[in-house]
Amino acid sequence: MKSAERPNSVLKVSMANRRDLVHATLWGLGVATALLVAIFVGSNSLKHYDAALVPYTGACVFSAFGIGYRFAMWLRRPPTRKYWFRGWGIFFRPSKLARNVVRLAQVFFSDFFAQRFIEKRSPARWAAHWLIAWGCILAAAVTFPLSFGWVHFENAPGNQEIYRAFVFGQHVSTFHLGTITAALTFNILDISAVMVLMGVALALFRRARDRGAISVQQFAQDMMPLLMLFAISITGLFLTASTYLLHGLNYGFLSMLHAVTVIFTLLYLPFGKFFHVFQRPAQIGVQFYKEEGARTEQAVCLRCGAPFASRMHIEDLKDVENSLGIHYQLPGGGHYQDVCPVCRRKSLAVAQDEKWREQGTRAAASQPAGGIWPNHQ
Amino acid sequence: MAKPPVTIPELVSQFGPTLNRIPAHGWNAEVEPDRIVKTHCCFCGQQCGIQLKVKDNRVIGFEPWEDFPFNQGRLCPKGVKRYMQDEHRDRLKAPLMRKEGTGFVPVSWDEALDKVAGEIKRIQQTHGPDSFALLGGASLTNEKAYLMGKFARVAVKTANIDYNGRLCMVSAAAASKKVFGIDRAANPWSDIPLARAILIAGANIAECAPITTNYLWQARENGAKLIVMDPRITPIARNADLYIPVRPGGDIGVFNGMLHIMIERGWINREFIAQHTTGWEQVEETVRKYTPEYASRIAGVPASMIVKAAEIWGPASTSFLLHARGIEHHTKGVLNCMAAINLVVATGRIGREGCGYAMITGQGNGQGGREQGQKCDQLPGGRDIENPEHRKYIAGVWGVPEESIPHKGLSIIPIFEAIHAGKIKGLLAISSNPMVSLPNNSYIREAFEKLEFFSQIDFFMSETARHADVVLAGSLMEEDEGTTTNVEGRVIHHKKVVDPPDDARVDWKIICDIAARLGQAGKFTFDSPKEIFDELRVASKGGICDYYGITWDRIDREYGVCWPCPSADHPGTPRLYEGNKFNHPDGKAHFQPVEWQPAAEEADGEYPIILTTGRVVSHYLSGTQTRRIGALVDQYPQPLCEMHPQLAAKLGIAEGDFVKVESRRGSVTVRASVVKTIRPDTVFVPYHWPLDRAANNMTVRAIDPISNIPEYKICAVRVSKVPEPHDAIAELEMEAGGVR
Amino acid sequence: MNGAETMEFFIDHSRCIGCKACVQACEECDTHRGVSLIHLETIMRPDSVQTAPQVCMHCEDPICAQVCPADAIKKTPDGVVQSSLKPRCIGCSNCVLACPFGVPKYKAEINQMMKCDMCYDRTSVGKRPMCATVCPSGALTFTTRENIERTRQGMAIRDWQFGGETVRTKVNVLVPRNVQKITVTIEQIEATSTNEYDVANLLLGD
Repeated sequence: MKSAERPNSVLKVSMANRRDLVHATLWGLGVATALLVAIFVGSNSLKHYDAALVPYTGACVFSAFGIGYRFAMWLRRPPTRKYWFRGWGIFFRPSKLARNVVRLAQVFFSDFFAQRFIEKRSPARWAAHWLIAWGCILAAAVTFPLSFGWVHFENAPGNQEIYRAFVFGQHVSTFHLGTITAALTFNILDISAVMVLMGVALALFRRARDRGAISVQQFAQDMMPLLMLFAISITGLFLTASTYLLHGLNYGFLSMLHAVTVIFTLLYLPFGKFFHVFQRPAQIGVQFYKEEGARTEQAVCLRCGAPFASRMHIEDLKDVENSLGIHYQLPGGGHYQDVCPVCRRKSLAVAQDEKWREQGTRAAASQPAGGIWPNHQ
Repeated sequence: MAKPPVTIPELVSQFGPTLNRIPAHGWNAEVEPDRIVKTHCCFCGQQCGIQLKVKDNRVIGFEPWEDFPFNQGRLCPKGVKRYMQDEHRDRLKAPLMRKEGTGFVPVSWDEALDKVAGEIKRIQQTHGPDSFALLGGASLTNEKAYLMGKFARVAVKTANIDYNGRLCMVSAAAASKKVFGIDRAANPWSDIPLARAILIAGANIAECAPITTNYLWQARENGAKLIVMDPRITPIARNADLYIPVRPGGDIGVFNGMLHIMIERGWINREFIAQHTTGWEQVEETVRKYTPEYASRIAGVPASMIVKAAEIWGPASTSFLLHARGIEHHTKGVLNCMAAINLVVATGRIGREGCGYAMITGQGNGQGGREQGQKCDQLPGGRDIENPEHRKYIAGVWGVPEESIPHKGLSIIPIFEAIHAGKIKGLLAISSNPMVSLPNNSYIREAFEKLEFFSQIDFFMSETARHADVVLAGSLMEEDEGTTTNVEGRVIHHKKVVDPPDDARVDWKIICDIAARLGQAGKFTFDSPKEIFDELRVASKGGICDYYGITWDRIDREYGVCWPCPSADHPGTPRLYEGNKFNHPDGKAHFQPVEWQPAAEEADGEYPIILTTGRVVSHYLSGTQTRRIGALVDQYPQPLCEMHPQLAAKLGIAEGDFVKVESRRGSVTVRASVVKTIRPDTVFVPYHWPLDRAANNMTVRAIDPISNIPEYKICAVRVSKVPEPHDAIAELEMEAGGVR
Repeated sequence: MNGAETMEFFIDHSRCIGCKACVQACEECDTHRGVSLIHLETIMRPDSVQTAPQVCMHCEDPICAQVCPADAIKKTPDGVVQSSLKPRCIGCSNCVLACPFGVPKYKAEINQMMKCDMCYDRTSVGKRPMCATVCPSGALTFTTRENIERTRQGMAIRDWQFGGETVRTKVNVLVPRNVQKITVTIEQIEATSTNEYDVANLLLGD
């Protein structure tokens, strides 16, 4: 009865109860507030905060709210919640913690730093993604602390050639203007912009030629983010060009243009493709979940008797299915979730074939020379 | 001295077979083809339409050709992965000369061709013209088949040319000619769905002619009843209305038994028989003793099955018989076919919509390859080489004196026997791989070793080419142009898709080049396959297989044209025998009384099990091409010996055990596949593999006296469990003849 | 859905001859070239030659998407359930294990789920899917409903019952005319052996 009337998931989401909304809103507000506090404290009570950057900061705070809200909402989904808590539970088990930290470092390196799993999908895709990802990370690592006033530079007293860097108001290093460190520090945004532009070019090139990508890509999902990154990078480079090559020509206009692209992207961050930046690290938790599963008891298939997944995974999935209103209990006993995928496929074909056989047997009874379907005996 | 110049593993490491797994330009979806060429699959007699994608003169993929009416885009796995034979690292790209102890070394075309022509001349001068023999193939285009026949009679002047269609279609051909006077499927495939009763005798359609399946299932949807005769439950048999697990060689029991019951119950068309046939009385007399009980003993199945078959076939309003190698590969292959066809003629259900029969051709040009004069007893147009009228006409076409055309020569098995006897000293072969495909393989290998000279035209180093003194690097189907004739008698057009790589040459050019060196340049002045086809049209004019009205343009416009087509305004003949006009001089169908007889070698106390051989869906013939395509090898990597659990239990064999299957002539060691879907008195081993995995190590070198087809479907073996073999051949990759 | 012109996918498992043309053709599809995503099962080879193809059924309310923690499985407006979104899929295999039809494949080397997307590169531009174009037995067919009803004895349905769970799919299955839905029961699941095709039995006669 229940199953026949179960509303579809789209409806379920739209009816997501008020508590989820309130919960997620509170998380969003919390994250936004935390960011505001961090800005206030980190900039030494706004002493190192540049008031001209207020629009950026506003966008960041909104973005923080959005990310907090979306992440919390995401975690309200039963399968996500299950994985989240299970994953952390496994990670923090005291007996394994040390080993898990080492493993985390390994996974972090291969999946996050090198992103090798993407390389196996397509080297072109990997190159594009790596350039974009690391270009953005570099840029973010510089601009956010700078604009929040967490990092600032001062001339050494009495020497215009020597710079001193401060983080959270604390002096951390000193460098001479002619050094490579200085060149890198002041041009890092240009470097990251070039990386991103190269990545975007590669990605667009691939997307324009790969017939598979062409058929499934959507403008809003796949092209829009690339265009945003392109806009940010190119307007940023315009600023550099204006400063060094054109004696500040149109600098004001260009910096406004750049600000618009950045702010727009910050506002978009929690809702579009970029949100995967925050979701994706969950992959690392899955890794721990799988390794734990492989070490523990296996679930065996009801039909073929072969192990096909960890018992923990199957039981967790049954829980998730229960909370989603998916009812796989079989009337004659047994649970469909205990049937392995191979045997599901086989059972389906047997069920379909059997319908024809029943029909054939009936037809055979009324016709002397056999029915429309086999009747060997 | 036709022995491999170095060891087999050394040759394998140099020439493969190795597996092609990745298309030219890789597995990406970015490369746009320059051209998409509409052509046909080369991997069986169905000749499905397919489109090949080409980039930079390389085949990079395929696209279904849904407009081609015969298969409407449908393909089997061989068709899908056919394009992987292109751009293959094993491809022969230059002529090769045997060098003892070294292997094969590339040489110039002049050197290679001079050597071949020189050896032909030398051997013929020493031992007479017939001491040099030629082998053609049924995977050649009509043009090349025609050219081979002419080359033999005009350039080499030997009587001894035959072809590997001798291993495939000849029993069906002989039976059809005896009964109706024409050797061709009587009906187009579009008649199958209109039949109310369908009898499939010895045809593993799901694996050997997969796209015919849809025609069968469509007939079922229309209410047809399906009868399948096979010692194994094939995928089609599983869903048949009646499956008859006939004993290998017991088919006549079923056919004659059915006819007996049909006569008894009045399910024969006496009016048709009286008006349009001869010989019925003898048939009626012969089948009188084939009571269900008697028939059942011959067929090795319960009598009730034969009764049921007659009950389905007898009263049906329309019917279709399909037969293939299962009843044809016997020393009584022609008899089997005639007994089956008698069921068609006795009901008069032929020559109209939904009524008729067909033999399913196996090789790519199984139909056309047997019409153009590359058989030992045949001239183009399906003409008889001993008929003075026929000889005169062809002599006129070729511009040679009639008496210069040799008379009937030896068929393929007698050719190898003549090699053993020292009567044939030299051999030139194309499109055939006797080292895998001929029975009693050790006998064949010994024959090769006795040859003074052997040359093979091939695109890969086949197991047979390893024995050659000169290997001439020829062309794949898609590297040349020409026509084939599909299972329906429909002449279709294979387009040239790409050029042969490097120094490889199109086959017809190689043959013409040798002819020129034999002093016959003037008779082989062709500039293109189209010119050969135009001569073929004239040569076939007035013959049984009349192609005169068929042109390449018409084929392209009309999706193929069915012969006979005597003139340009003739629409072609998809359905033969309309209006009950048969092709004997009296216009009637000639019943042939058939009496069952035992096989050349039946099971006995010493070798108590029957071995039957056949094919699997992912491989084509001797595997020269398909054992080089990774995806197809993965699907069925090595031969297995199928046996029933009852037999396995008796022999102490379990699923996956290594077993030695051994006859009086040789053995294979393969893994056992224990399945309930085969008769307990029979084992099955597919034949696509070479060396110690060759099913033809065991088969018997006995041939049908009329058609000369070998008895691939029955020989006596014993089977025993053995440890895993670890010799040098066993350690080869599976596609090369190893075992895992 | 506008009736006659709409092309739909129809499966008739019982027509399948196990030739694997679909498996070979699947990897030629541009959205996943080189990776075959269709399944072809040999049901119980020692007993029978029965085989069965399985493409994605494209559920109206896909369970794979419901159980996906990463929200990585999306349906197009025309009802095709796509392979996992590459940026989101975390390779957890929930979908692989929960799909009632056993369709998604987890590809360990790329740590991602991939599944049949009804050859979206082809169907989205009016071509037929690879598998259903080449299938030589008609077990997989892509045509109009009207055409199927005209040429087949059976009826195309798209309702399935797995225990308490009812699933409606975009892909149809052909069943005898009196059948409304296919219910997978414990009896079928436990039917792992049959003597129906034992030739030794058949030879015993009536």
